[in-house]
Amino acid sequence: MQTVTLTINQQEVSGHPEMTILELARESGIIIPTLCHHASLNPIGACRICLVENEVNGALLASCVTPIASGMIINTESSRVLEHRKMILKLMLASHPDSCLVCDKGNRCQLRQMAAELGIGSSELDRIPQTAVTEEVNPFLIRDMSKCILCARCIRACQELVIEGALDYYGRGFKAKPATLFKSPLENSECTFCGTCVALCPTGALMEKEEFYRGTIGTVVESTCPYCGCGCSISLEVKENRVARVKPAAEDTGPGTLCVKGSYGCDFIHSPDRLTRPLVKENGSFKEVSWDEALAVTADAFSRIKDKHGSDSLAVFGSANCTNEENYLLQRFARGVLGTNNIDNGSSLYYAAARQAFYDSVGFPGITYTLNDLTGTDLILVVGAEPAASAPLINYEIKRAVKLHGAKLILIDPRKTKLTLFADCWLRPEVDTDLMLLNSLAKVIIDENLVDREFIARKTENYQELLDSLATFSLETAAEVTGVSLEQIRLAAGLYATAGKAAIIFGTGIMQQLQGTENVKALLNLALLTGNIWRKGGGLRALLRECNAQGACDMGMLPDFLPGYYPVEDLPARKKFETHWQANLPSKPGLNALEMMQMAGEGKIKGLLITGENPVAGFPGSALVEEALASLDFLVVQDLFLTETARLAQVVLPAASFAEKEGTFTNLEGRVQKIRKAIEPLAESRPDWKIILQLAAAMNQPLPFNSLEQVQKELEELVPLYKYDWEEKSPKEEDYWETMAEHRLPLKRFPRFSPVEYLPPLKAPDTQYPFILLAESALFHSGSGSRSSKSGRLSRFSASYFLQMNKIDADMMKLQPGDRVKIVSPVGELPAVVEHSESLPRGLVSLPRSRSDYPVALLFSSPPETSASSSALQRCYVRIERSCSDEPEK
Amino acid sequence: MNTIKSPEELEAKREEIIAARQRDGAAVAVCCGTGCSASGAGSVVAALQEYLARWKLEVPVKTRITGCHGFCEQGPLVVVEPGNILYCRVKPEDVPEIVDTTLVGQEVVERLLYIDPVSGKPVPTEAEVPFYRGQRRLTMGWNGRINPDRIEDYLAVGGYRALAKALSEMSPEEVIDNIRESGLRGRGGGGFPTGRKWKLCRQATGEPKYLICNADEGDPGCFQDRSLLEGNPHLVLEGMSIAAYAIGAAQGYIYVRNEYPLAVKHAGMALEQARAWGLLGENILGSSFSFDIRLTRGGGAFVCGEETALISSIEGLSGEPNPRPRPPYPVDKGLWGKPTLINNVKTLAAVPMITERGGDWYQQIGTATSKGTMIFSLTGKVNNTGLVEVPMGMTLRQVIYEIGGGIPGGKEFKAVQTGGPAGGCLPASKLDLPLDYEKLTEAGSIMGSGGMIVMDNTTCMVDVARYFLSFTVDESCGKCTLCREGGRQMMAYLMEITAGRGKLEYLERLRELAAAMQAGSLCALGRLAPNPVLTTLRYFKDEYLAHIEERRCPAGVCRDLITYSIDTEACTACGRCIRNCPTGAISGPDKEVPLLDQELCIRCGACLDLCRFDAIVVQ
Repeated sequence: MQTVTLTINQQEVSGHPEMTILELARESGIIIPTLCHHASLNPIGACRICLVENEVNGALLASCVTPIASGMIINTESSRVLEHRKMILKLMLASHPDSCLVCDKGNRCQLRQMAAELGIGSSELDRIPQTAVTEEVNPFLIRDMSKCILCARCIRACQELVIEGALDYYGRGFKAKPATLFKSPLENSECTFCGTCVALCPTGALMEKEEFYRGTIGTVVESTCPYCGCGCSISLEVKENRVARVKPAAEDTGPGTLCVKGSYGCDFIHSPDRLTRPLVKENGSFKEVSWDEALAVTADAFSRIKDKHGSDSLAVFGSANCTNEENYLLQRFARGVLGTNNIDNGSSLYYAAARQAFYDSVGFPGITYTLNDLTGTDLILVVGAEPAASAPLINYEIKRAVKLHGAKLILIDPRKTKLTLFADCWLRPEVDTDLMLLNSLAKVIIDENLVDREFIARKTENYQELLDSLATFSLETAAEVTGVSLEQIRLAAGLYATAGKAAIIFGTGIMQQLQGTENVKALLNLALLTGNIWRKGGGLRALLRECNAQGACDMGMLPDFLPGYYPVEDLPARKKFETHWQANLPSKPGLNALEMMQMAGEGKIKGLLITGENPVAGFPGSALVEEALASLDFLVVQDLFLTETARLAQVVLPAASFAEKEGTFTNLEGRVQKIRKAIEPLAESRPDWKIILQLAAAMNQPLPFNSLEQVQKELEELVPLYKYDWEEKSPKEEDYWETMAEHRLPLKRFPRFSPVEYLPPLKAPDTQYPFILLAESALFHSGSGSRSSKSGRLSRFSASYFLQMNKIDADMMKLQPGDRVKIVSPVGELPAVVEHSESLPRGLVSLPRSRSDYPVALLFSSPPETSASSSALQRCYVRIERSCSDEPEK
Repeated sequence: MNTIKSPEELEAKREEIIAARQRDGAAVAVCCGTGCSASGAGSVVAALQEYLARWKLEVPVKTRITGCHGFCEQGPLVVVEPGNILYCRVKPEDVPEIVDTTLVGQEVVERLLYIDPVSGKPVPTEAEVPFYRGQRRLTMGWNGRINPDRIEDYLAVGGYRALAKALSEMSPEEVIDNIRESGLRGRGGGGFPTGRKWKLCRQATGEPKYLICNADEGDPGCFQDRSLLEGNPHLVLEGMSIAAYAIGAAQGYIYVRNEYPLAVKHAGMALEQARAWGLLGENILGSSFSFDIRLTRGGGAFVCGEETALISSIEGLSGEPNPRPRPPYPVDKGLWGKPTLINNVKTLAAVPMITERGGDWYQQIGTATSKGTMIFSLTGKVNNTGLVEVPMGMTLRQVIYEIGGGIPGGKEFKAVQTGGPAGGCLPASKLDLPLDYEKLTEAGSIMGSGGMIVMDNTTCMVDVARYFLSFTVDESCGKCTLCREGGRQMMAYLMEITAGRGKLEYLERLRELAAAMQAGSLCALGRLAPNPVLTTLRYFKDEYLAHIEERRCPAGVCRDLITYSIDTEACTACGRCIRNCPTGAISGPDKEVPLLDQELCIRCGACLDLCRFDAIVVQ
């Protein structure tokens, strides 16, 4: 490759022609101060602090934007450079308010740091401080534009990293400032309070609203966000055993973006509602007891039930929010100590269908998609997902791929999602007709001969069966059933099949249907037809709601799989685990989560251990779930808070939060990431993994571990998938997934095409219940909301429960925005406030999920038939009644 | 319709038009440029048409509407052909006399002739007017002879011949080499060698390539680009087509100020005509060259004249476009990230004649480093204001005194500011400076876009510096620290000085700030903005010192430093000042010399302007 050689500070250096002077200088260990420059942002050369002198012609160059040229003789600290650099800083200080002493940015302020470094105390220039009204209505951040130095990092972050475009320059000359459209408050703009701008602001112009702490931070601990499956790296800023602030992790690991939950939602750690001591229920009320007592009560109860009713009268419901190590221990405890396969985790409610589909198609129920490198893809197909709410980081990546890298975007969704603006093609099928639509895409791809013949011949099975199943498929019928025109279907199919690298991203909208498994199989068919299954930049990704949904499944927190997806019926595999664990393991698949609740209701499950899950708030038909849990002989719940579920328990064990323990999470792309202990467990809380070990010990069957390292060691030994050294080896390697597919995954055959047939809904819409209600992810909440609703800032910002409905529907019912209504489903009812929605077609209404104090799930019923692969539905038929009572709703 | 498919057809068409014109006989040309229109040229045209229609003359007389002749001071201008008789400041009521006397009677209407202020004698023909005599109107010359609405007029004076020549006889490289040989440099301010820019753009990799004509003329008092687009739009289109052929562009843009409605209209009409005639579009003149032009109207920000800002604006980016750091230069990565050539209107307007007559001809005009002619907007305290096109190398004195007719009212020349608001102010000692890119830069000013503002001794140079700086400070986009903050600081010091609160050390501060802005600003706006301050500090330091040390404004301009008083000897007690003082500061009984209350006086100058007896004294 061509190199350019030049001199920087008498040192001969060379770099590639695209490099800027600043980049080469930094690479060569030469420090040039900067303010507006940031590695994640396009340089704009605005602050001019990075000026250097080219001694060849005496020109002063902004090093952040000037490419290197051969023969340059650069001096980064000539007297002229220093003089001008100081002048620039003096100019900034001259217009900066005199509030350093009381500014919360304190020593974090880069302007202040630089002034100190360059030795600028007072400036001889006239002080002409800027004035501005501080904006602090929202609970997340404070904007004080009088401290703005117009480095435009916030503007670029908003436009280049999260692609919201809420901010831009406003006004010109000295009046120029970053602002929203028409300078409206942030909460009325496109802003999602992701906090990226705050993290990047060098001065006190943008600051997080801190509830309880101000000033300089003691230590910074790198960890992983505990909310959704994106698994963003975060930095916890800690002082005095408190997590004071959360920031995107250091810039070299990525663009450093978070969403509002990551940036501002971790204050649940210090919620006053945290459980402090173990609780045992006596005569219907809880009593604080010692750990020993609580563990003894629990061990005793489990042993008693096991002896009396057999192992399968016990069940363990683990958590997609707990670490891999904890899930591993928990399933080993369930299988080896309790002796049951009645094991499941919260992600099964929506992910089970997809896992089954993957297992059938690809032969492996876990990770199936290529690396997160969406930027290199040519096309993205998003199906049944609103990543803006459910997986914000993926949303940023999709938008970046489309806007900055020219990828095409196809959407399949009855709702108008936030991505619609970016889409090349938006297919809007009738609710629950996705399968018909996906099949029609496959049909067009086959008919128009857009398939990847070589790939199909060499690397797949069952192609003929797919062809046969689609032989009589009528595109006209498909168009009629789905309501999507033939042209649109042809356009989308053509775009997808001819794009080159085409990635598929799908969400709960498509998984939580009666035909969820078939839907995902249909998607897999598309990827197989076009050879996009293992391709870098191609593949399929499911949007997972929890930080460790993938890991919990990988760890065998499933009724039918041992860790690493060895089926429980697989004798040799089971033997391996039995030898290792020195225990006899049950050989039949156990009950899944939905079945556990059902069996508990029927009295067949007597004892249940729930770790970090809140089924009363999250499960369909929550009234029945509550009843079932209340009827248990013994329920023990490990959680941070006294959740609706924990209230029903006989024993409640206070767990430590993610910030108080070590471990790993596996994100939705299969990347295993560390969480690190930032603070000591609060009060008497303990990390879940310790609780499990202590519980096993209390049952006189101790597990042979003294430390997490030992757990990790065993895990790596038994689960080849986790042997990969994530910290050492960069997973961005070109051939990573291929290696993975070949050597690490238990694949025994080629991926297989799956003929799938669309079935019309079992029950036609009932005239009594004319609307279909969707439960939608909410950006400001997560899971069943047990943590996010304890975040002061998150819950303060989104305090109302709005029923979104199409304006025409609302008008027909004479409902105005703000009207109070009652939503009635066959199994429950909920009050709500009406809001007009531009995103929903007629006949659809939606409510936000993820509010523990507002259990939308109680409107839903369980699927009519359940199997290990069933997902819970997130839709039901409802009617809307005008509410007569003036009783204020929560 | 009239699509012309080859150079031969073009020539045939031209012959046809010329022949038809020769049959026309007499013609009355009325300048309808913006200046003359403002002085009432429209009603002169109406009166003329009406009068000619009413009194059908034996010999048919054509009324011709033309573009700006440049001599706006004397507008509305009317030229009668044959005879080249120039009438100045014509009113509608003069029309019958012009028709009767000149067209019918073949006599000159003496009272409407231009009077040479030097000799006091009337000048009968346009060519003899000193204002024109000293000029070399290579680019502007056609303006007065053609109707900008009519492509036929342009063809009649040889229009599109250069394009035909380029397309049929020259390779793109030859076109570029010819421009290189001519020594033409960018007329928009930078003075970058045009041929070199073209060559860089031709060599740049990336398709498609774009051509932009920068008609975002924002300098106060400058209207050359406007006059060209209004008065001879086809000249600019032809220049653009040649440039596009040379660099290999298929799409061009004219970025024109929206505040120039006539330019927008005429350019738009010219585009339609050129398309209809086949001079724009597919396979122009039967060649393989295809090219079209879009008109983009500017958003009204001065900084949009800066190349990269202009590109952002065309791309539809919000608010004020950001001057992007360079490199990459637009010739490599410009509009939509593709190689883009941006040339000023005047530069492009020079292209047809260079192509037609050869670079070797053009390079004989001008100085060693500055070739050809330059159009200046001569304004301010000078007798003949207007647009003047002179060969490079002419001295300031020649332009101001010989063409401009000197300073009016017998006042003394004090300074001339060249190059727009970011140019410098040159004193009398620099009057013999030849107009040349390098010489102007050496003297602390710039050629810029050709602004030339003459100031007499009633002008305060500190105030002038403050005024020009306030313009650039207002127009700064605010993105880079030095321009935004530096400009504001400098303004603050100048305000202090003009308010009589100056300190000596401020001068040093100003110099430091100016040096920082010049060296480190992101774009030319910030780098050039300190020029007026630096040149006034260099040439008129005494005035600064008078403001600071003596708290006195020698020119009597800075309000905080002057007092008005009434010269009791000169005052005739007419009472005019009393009636017109807006604050009632002047009062007194009838028939008595009034009293001026210094507390109430706001030094607005109303009394000074009104007093017919020079009885108001400013100190």
